[in-house]
Amino acid sequence: MASAADIRSVLSVPDPTPGSSQQPQKKPTATSKRPQGISRELYELIGDSVPSVVPQHSKARLKLKPNLGSGPPRSRWEWREFKNGARTDKLRLNHWVKAGTDPDAVYRFEHYNVVSNPYKYTDEEYAQLLEDPEWSREETDYLFKMIEDYDSRFLIVHDRYEFPGGVPRLLEDLKDRYYSICRKLVRSRPWNGDEVSRAKVLGLLSFEKERELTRKQYLRSLESRTPEQIAEEEALYLELKRLEQTERQFKKDRDDLLRTLLGVESGLSDIQLGDDSSLHGLSSMPEIKKSKKKTGSTMEIDSPSVATPSSSIMQAQKRIQTVKSAAYDAQHCITRTDVPQITATKSSHQAATLRSYKLPTPKQAMATKVAQTLLEYGVNSSRLVMPTRENLLHLESLIDATTLLLEAKKNVDRVEQDIRLMKAKVLRRDEQLGGGEGGEAPMDVDQEAVADDDDAGIQPGRGARKKNARRSMSVSSVDAAAQPGRSNKRQKQG
Amino acid sequence: MVQHGGDEVAAVVIDIGSSTLRAGYAGDDTPKAIIPTYYGYRSQPPDADVAMGGTTGDHSSLKSTSKIAKMFVGQDGPSIYREGMEVGNPLKEGLIEDFNPITPLIRHALEDVMRINPTDHPILVTEPAWNTPANRERMAEIIFDEFNAPAFYIANTSVLNAFAAGKGSALVIDIGHSEASVTPVIDGFVLRKGLVHSSLPALVHQRAKHILTQANQNRRGINLLPHQLIANKAPVDPGVDPRFNVREDRLQGITKSWRNWAENREVDEWMHSIGSVLDQGWNEQAVAARGARQYEFPTGYNYYFGAERFEVGELFFMHPQHLQATNPNLPKPLPQLISASVTSCDPDIRQVLLSNVVLSGGGSLFSGLADRLNSELNRIFNHAKIHAPGNPAERRYGSWLGGSILASLGTFHQLWISKEEWQEHGRPIVGQRCK
Repeated sequence: MASAADIRSVLSVPDPTPGSSQQPQKKPTATSKRPQGISRELYELIGDSVPSVVPQHSKARLKLKPNLGSGPPRSRWEWREFKNGARTDKLRLNHWVKAGTDPDAVYRFEHYNVVSNPYKYTDEEYAQLLEDPEWSREETDYLFKMIEDYDSRFLIVHDRYEFPGGVPRLLEDLKDRYYSICRKLVRSRPWNGDEVSRAKVLGLLSFEKERELTRKQYLRSLESRTPEQIAEEEALYLELKRLEQTERQFKKDRDDLLRTLLGVESGLSDIQLGDDSSLHGLSSMPEIKKSKKKTGSTMEIDSPSVATPSSSIMQAQKRIQTVKSAAYDAQHCITRTDVPQITATKSSHQAATLRSYKLPTPKQAMATKVAQTLLEYGVNSSRLVMPTRENLLHLESLIDATTLLLEAKKNVDRVEQDIRLMKAKVLRRDEQLGGGEGGEAPMDVDQEAVADDDDAGIQPGRGARKKNARRSMSVSSVDAAAQPGRSNKRQKQG
Repeated sequence: MVQHGGDEVAAVVIDIGSSTLRAGYAGDDTPKAIIPTYYGYRSQPPDADVAMGGTTGDHSSLKSTSKIAKMFVGQDGPSIYREGMEVGNPLKEGLIEDFNPITPLIRHALEDVMRINPTDHPILVTEPAWNTPANRERMAEIIFDEFNAPAFYIANTSVLNAFAAGKGSALVIDIGHSEASVTPVIDGFVLRKGLVHSSLPALVHQRAKHILTQANQNRRGINLLPHQLIANKAPVDPGVDPRFNVREDRLQGITKSWRNWAENREVDEWMHSIGSVLDQGWNEQAVAARGARQYEFPTGYNYYFGAERFEVGELFFMHPQHLQATNPNLPKPLPQLISASVTSCDPDIRQVLLSNVVLSGGGSLFSGLADRLNSELNRIFNHAKIHAPGNPAERRYGSWLGGSILASLGTFHQLWISKEEWQEHGRPIVGQRCK
C-alpha cells in the first residue's frame, strides 16, 4: 500500500529526485557567480571547476542541519478497519490509509473479485435435453459444481475429480460432457443477440473428443521416443532430403544433356517435390547473392533462381518482358536475341555461346593474306578485347573490306601484267617500226606510289580501330580507282 | 496510485518445516523468527535447579496429558546441555505427527521472538502438499482456539514456493530437511496426481553418518561427540587421533535422543560444509580433480575428505548397487521422482512444467546440486529450465516467502477464514476455502 513517496510524505522528507524541489533552481546561480577570493582572470581560465579549497574570508559555516521541517506538509496515516465487499462475513481487517480519506469508500481490491458465470441448467432442461446414459444427474451436477469452484480450470477439475462411486473419467470426458451440455443449452434457449454471435458462442464451445484424444496420443508417442528412435528419424529425414536433391540434380543434368546433344527440350515433367522450399531456398541463396554482386544494381534477382521452366512458358515470359522493358533494355545496353520458336532439328539448334566464339573469320584461302594485310595496318584480328555486338560488326566489315581489297588487287595485278605485256609487245613492234616516245608514263606512276607509301609509314595505324577502318576503306577506294603503279608497289613490299 | 497489488493487514506467516519453524510479517522478505522445530523436554520435574536464560523459551505444556513436564524451545532449546533433557521433533516425513509441541513452538516464535499479540494478526500457516484434511483442521483449531487469531488460512508449500519464484505454474522441487518432493503446480493449484515425495534427504543423512562413523582403510571411525560434551582439546595433525577431554560430569546426564540429535547436527554440518555432488555423474577422475577438503570435528579430529564428500551427494541422484540390493524400499532418487511426476501429468502441460522448474528448500543448497539436477533433467527431457534462486535465504525460506507475498496481496484478503466463519461452519470450512 505504502510506496516510497508515501513514506516520504509521512516523514515529511523532501523528494530527492530532481525537478520537484527548489534545489536545481538555486544551483546555477551559485555556480555562475564568481566565488570570493579568486581573481577574475583566474576564474576565466579555470571556469566552473572551482578548486576544492577556496580561501574563505567570510565567517566559518557549521554543518547543515538536516532539513526536516521545511519539506512538504506532513501527511497523516492511520491504522483503520476496512470492509472488504468480496467477503460475506463481518471480518474487519485493518490497514494503513491516509487520514482524511473516505472511510466508507469501496475497497479497491474488491473489483478484482471476478465471478465467473458458468452455464446452469434447470430440471426441465436436463430431463428434455441433457440425458446421457454415461452420466447420471448427480455426477453431472458434481461436474458443474467442480467447474464452478475451479473457474473452468479443467486440469484442476480433472485432478480433483472424485465422484463417489463414479467410473474414472478422462479429462476429455469431462470436457466433452460439459461442452456438449453448454452447446445444447445455447441452442435450445432463446438468444438475445443475432445469429452470428450465437454461432460464435457455439464455436467457442465446440469440442471434439476423438480428435483431442488422438492428438494427446500423438503427443505421448512423440514424447516416449527413445534417443535411438529420434536419431533414426533425423537420419531418415536427412536421407530423404539428400534423395530429393540428387533427383533434382539428375533432372537438371538430363535436361542439359538433351538440350546440348539433341537440341530439344526434354519435355519430361518437372520433378515436383512437396515442401522443398527450405532446401530450394538454401540452394538458390548463394546464386542470388552472386548475381547481386555481379550486377551491383537493382536488377531483378529472380532470373538465376528460376530453374529451367518448360520452354513455352519461358518464351512467353520473355516476349512479354521484351515488350515491357524495351526502354529499360536500351538504357542498360541489354540486347535480346529472338530464340527461334521451333528448335527441332540439330542444325537449327544453337546452343548458348560466348560472343567471342562468333568472331568472323575470312575465307580459308585468303586467311593468311588478310591477316598479313591487317597486321600491316596494326590490327590484330585474332583477339578482340571487347567483343561487343558493335565491335563484332565493325570487325566483320573490316575483314570483308580487306578481302574485297585483296581480290581487287589480284585482279588489278593480273590486268596490269596483261597491260605490261601488251605494252612490251607494242613497244617492240614500235621499235621494230622505229618510234621512241611512249616510255615516260610508267616512271611517273612509280614515283607517286613511293610518296604514298611514305605517307602510310608516317601514320601508324595502331590507334582506334575506326581510323584503321577508314584508312582501309580509303585504300580500297583508291584501289577501286585502279591506279596500276601503286598496287604494284605494295605487292612488292608485302 | 495502485502500482502493486499489495495491501498489508499485518498478517503473520508461519511456516513449519522439519528443521526450523519460520514466522514473520507478511510483506517482509525474510522471516523475523527462525527457531528450530526440535525441542527439548524433560519427562519428570527436575530435581535440581536449572538456570534459565532470559531468551530461553520455556513453556509448561499445560494442556498436554503426556509425560512432558517441561519444554525447552527456541534457539536455546535443544542446543543447550541440560541434565536429562530429551529432544523431540513434532514432524515426521514432513507432516505434523504430534500437535502437542506445536502450540509452544508457535507461541515462542510469536510472543517471545516477534513479541506480538496473536489476537491482532491474521495468521497464514503452510502445509505440505500431502497433508491430511484432519491435520489442517487441527491446525485451524489451534490457531483459532489457542491463539485467538482473527483470521486464518492454510496454504500449500509447493504453491508458495512457486509464488516466491514469481510463477503461477511450475514444477516445484522442494528438498527439505527430511523430505524431498516434486509437485506440479498449475495456476496456483497443486496437481495431486503428479505429486511425489520421498524421504531422500533423510537417507542421504543416514548414509553420511554411516560413512563418517565407520572406519575404512585410510582412517578410523570418527567420534561425533558434540562440543557441549568436550572440556578442552589440543590441535592435532590431519588423520591423527584427536586429543581432547570429555566433560565427565555431563556425560552421565545426557539422554539418547539428545546425543542422537547432537550427532546428527554434526553430520549435517559436515555434509553442508564440504559435501558436494559432481555435475556430470560419478567419475573417479573428476573426483580426483576436485580434490580433498579438510574438515575438523568438535573433538579436534580433522581429516582431508576426498571421494567421501562426493559419495554422499551422489545418493540424491543414484543409489549404489550394493545399497539397492540390501534395501529394496529405498526412497527414489530425484531423477526418478521428477520423471514419475511429469509423466503422470497431461501431455499438454508437461512443457509448461519443465520450462518452469523451481528448486527450493534448504537441502537444495547442497553444493553442486542445482548444476547436477540441470544436467540430469536435460538428459531425461528435451527442454528443461531450472529456476534456482542464488540467494540462500530465498531457497531456505522459499515457502515462507511465498506466504509472505500471498498474505500481503489486497486480493487475497477475501480468502481468509474468519473466526466468525470458523465458529459458524466448523471444520469443513477449511477444506472448502483452502483448495
